Formats: sequence, C-alpha cells, structure tokens
Amino acid sequence: MGRIIDWARNRSPWILHLNCGSCNGCDIETIDALMPRYDIERFGIQQKDTPRHADILVATGPVTEQMAPRLKRVYEQMPEPKLVIAAGSCASTGGVFYDCYNCREGIDDVIPVDMYIPGCPTSPEALIDGIVKLLAESGKEAQAERLAEKKPEIVEEGTPIDEAVPKEPDADRTETDDAPQEGADEPEPVEV
Amino acid sequence: MSLELDLATGLLYLLVFPGFAFLFVYGLTAEYLDRKLYARLQNRVGPPVVQPLADFLKLLAKESAVPEDATARIYNAAPWTGLAGVFTAMLYVPVWSEQAAFAFEGDLVVVLFLLSLPSFSLFFGGWYSGNVFSRIGTTRTITQLFGYEIPFFLACFAPAVAAGTLSTSGIVAFVEANPLYVFVLLPAFAIALLSLQAKLERIPFDIPEAETELATGALVEYSGRKLALFRLTKDVELVVGAALLSALFLGGPAPAGAIEGSVGLVAGVVVFFVKTLTVIALLTVLKAVVARLRIEQMVDVFYRVLVPVALVQIALVLAVGLYTNGVIP
Repeated sequence: MGRIIDWARNRSPWILHLNCGSCNGCDIETIDALMPRYDIERFGIQQKDTPRHADILVATGPVTEQMAPRLKRVYEQMPEPKLVIAAGSCASTGGVFYDCYNCREGIDDVIPVDMYIPGCPTSPEALIDGIVKLLAESGKEAQAERLAEKKPEIVEEGTPIDEAVPKEPDADRTETDDAPQEGADEPEPVEV
Repeated sequence: MSLELDLATGLLYLLVFPGFAFLFVYGLTAEYLDRKLYARLQNRVGPPVVQPLADFLKLLAKESAVPEDATARIYNAAPWTGLAGVFTAMLYVPVWSEQAAFAFEGDLVVVLFLLSLPSFSLFFGGWYSGNVFSRIGTTRTITQLFGYEIPFFLACFAPAVAAGTLSTSGIVAFVEANPLYVFVLLPAFAIALLSLQAKLERIPFDIPEAETELATGALVEYSGRKLALFRLTKDVELVVGAALLSALFLGGPAPAGAIEGSVGLVAGVVVFFVKTLTVIALLTVLKAVVARLRIEQMVDVFYRVLVPVALVQIALVLAVGLYTNGVIP
C-alpha cells in the first residue's frame, strides 16, 4: 500500500509558485518551465492556484519582511505531506540582498527547505531537474521509513543503524544554518 | 425471474457495469484522453496513461483539512452528494442496448436532475468553506447554472417531443427506428454540447474556476480526499453527459442494436465507446481552440442565442412529426 502511495506521489507533484520579494527574474523562468515547450505535464507536474491543492511550494526571492509571515501562512495552509523548493540565488541564501535591512536571508530563514536550486535567474531546465531529483530523494526517504517500520530492529533510539536507511536530512543542516553564511554563496549547482 | 436473480443483476448493474467500477475506470480513462488530446492540440507530448490514477491516489493519501470558518457538516457532505448523483444518473442511460439498466416512464427528468446535482454540491461545498474566493466562485457557478440549464433542458426535450415519451430508453428506441431524426436533431445536439461544456465548467465556460482571477473558485479550500472526490465527480460527469448525449441525439447503440445475443451486446458496447469518445473529443477540441468568456457574455449567449434556437428546434421536430404522420401534406 505504501509503495503504491509513494508511486502516486512521485507521479503527480502539483506545485504552487510564490514570489517572496523576487526581482521577477526567477518568476518568469518558473512560468517558462510551465509553458508547452518544456511540457512538464509529462512528469505529472501541474501548476496549482491554491496552497490547499499543492504538494510542492516553489518559492522565489529573498523573503522581504512583509512577505515573511505570509510565506509562513501559505506553508501552513498546504496539506501534509509537503515539500519546499527555494528557487534562485536569493531564495537559497539571500543573494545580492544578503544583510539587507528589509530582507531575511533566503526561504530557509522562515520555513524548512527541502531543495535549493541556485541560479540568477534559475533556468527552467534546472527547476524541472530539481523537482524530479527532489521527488526521487523523498521517495527514498519514505522507503527508508517503511523499512524502519517493518524492521524496528535496525533502528536504535530513532537513529537508523543500517546503511540502507539514510540519516535524518535536517540533522546536519541546523548546524550550518546557525553558522555565519559569509563565503557560502551557493550550494552545489544542480547538474542539467 | 426470481428475487435472488433480480437482486444479483441489480447489484451487478450498480457495482460493476454500468455502475461504479466501470464508471471509475472509464472516467479516469476519459480524463486521460481529454488531457492527452488537449496536449497534442497544444503541440505537447502530454501526460502518461496512468496520470489520472496517480493524481487520484495521491490526493486520497494526502491530508484533508477542514478550515476553521467552514460549516464542517455541509463541507464534508458536499463531495459525496455530487458523486452519488452522477453515479446514479448512469443507471438510467442506455449503454449496450436501447434498454437502460433501470428504466421507467419519465426517467429523462430524473437523469437531468441528477446531472445538475454536482453543480449544487459544488455550490454548497464552496459556499460553506468560508473563503471569499470560493464564495465568488459559487455565485458564478449558480449564475452560470441559470444560463445553461434552460437551453440544456430544451435541447434534451426535443428528442423527447419527437419520440412522444420521457423515457430515455424509449427515445433511444425511437431514434433507432427512425435514424434520419439524427439529422433533424443536429441543432439540439450542438446546444446540448455547449451546455454540457458549461455544466462541466470547462473552457470557454470555466468562469467559476477562472484560475487567474479566483484561484480555482469553489474548490479553493478543498484538499486531499474531498478534492479527489470532486475531481472524480467531474470525470464521471463528463462520461455520463457524453453517454446521455449519444443516447438522445446519436441514437445510442444504433447500428448494433438490431443484432441479437452476446455479439449484439459486445457490438453495442463498442458503439457506445465510439460515440461517447466522439462527444468527448468534440468537447476537448472546443476547450483547446477558444478562450474564456466573461460571465455576462456567457449568460447572454445562452439566453439570447441558444434558447431561441432550442425553441425553433422543438417547433421543427413538431413540424417533421406532423409531416411524417401525413397531417401536413
């Protein structure tokens, strides 16, 4: 049963695009990715108009102070399970708006992010590739959870001891979040 | 026939064919074909075959939240009402022969009523979900309902007037016996096609959904399981509407209806698929080649153009009937 649901989730990611104070560059590229040329309906990806229908939040921009509570609210309105993609350099780290008086430093300053897609602006190919890779990753995670449920002996006090079960993805991220971000411009670029 | 056998065939009709299982599969297939053809008309590749099933299963497995401002009881009941309506409607539409699964004199009225249930369930669900967007969407749904229901009813009554019966099975038998009526009823068929498109809230009549203005209108707060049910309702409504149109205006299982036995049964089902898929393809092409109308333009077109045409159609049917009976020389 779990396998069927994983398959369905992998085949039908519906995205919600939210501009959190972006310069509009990443937004135009996101809309580009939805156009017939790239035809993302091949992967079952659909653009949805309300957070209630969406599975993946594609957020762009460095998150202005005005947008931060709204971004949080939209995130909370999305039904579980949900994933977040930070699209563009600003969304990943704050970009050129880093340390600006009216901005936060990227989406992960407000809500947890599952995937960073760098680029100024992001190319549609990178965005599509990012979504596909994110789905593969979350599928693996769900598989590991099922495995841990079926064979509790391989999990010890919430930590998996088997190599087949990947570690909690948030475990090492919280450290880097607190550390000063100078010099850490962009995460690893997505291969296209 | 014994009671047990009656009960068994009734359950078979209800659950397998042409009831639940058949409608579920055919509804999802129709959605796939609709989306694929739409994509091909836009020069795209389109979704894979299993896409509608994946969407449905994914939505079933998602969280289905009830908003704080919603009236929970109505909000939860709305998706089921519409779905029950369209599933029931199919039992009175002939599929494999001129005889429907269940039939009585006047079942055409019941089918038309059951087919407008989804619009009302959408209205109640949207209105009581406590969201401004969905309220605007539902008022548009009802405004649009008043626009298309009258032409749709008039168009569906044209073959009823010709056959002199309000039973769907009787109408199919009549059109089968007089195949030339298919041409007489062409204007009514066109009106019914447009009204069905408006009933399903597809382009150019997707004013209540209007993604760019209303963020999906009435369904704005629905998520997870309830949204899946609403989507399934739309798919099944498309199939039932296409089946009703093919029964009323295209003669149902017309060329295959005369064949006896199991061969006739299979031939009837094949003809059913050919005709309903033709209707669905027509609706898809219409969706692909035109843009959305405004709400007042839509009501305007339906009241000023389609209602008079439907009335003329009924007059024409009466005249043809009198002529064939030899009253008018």
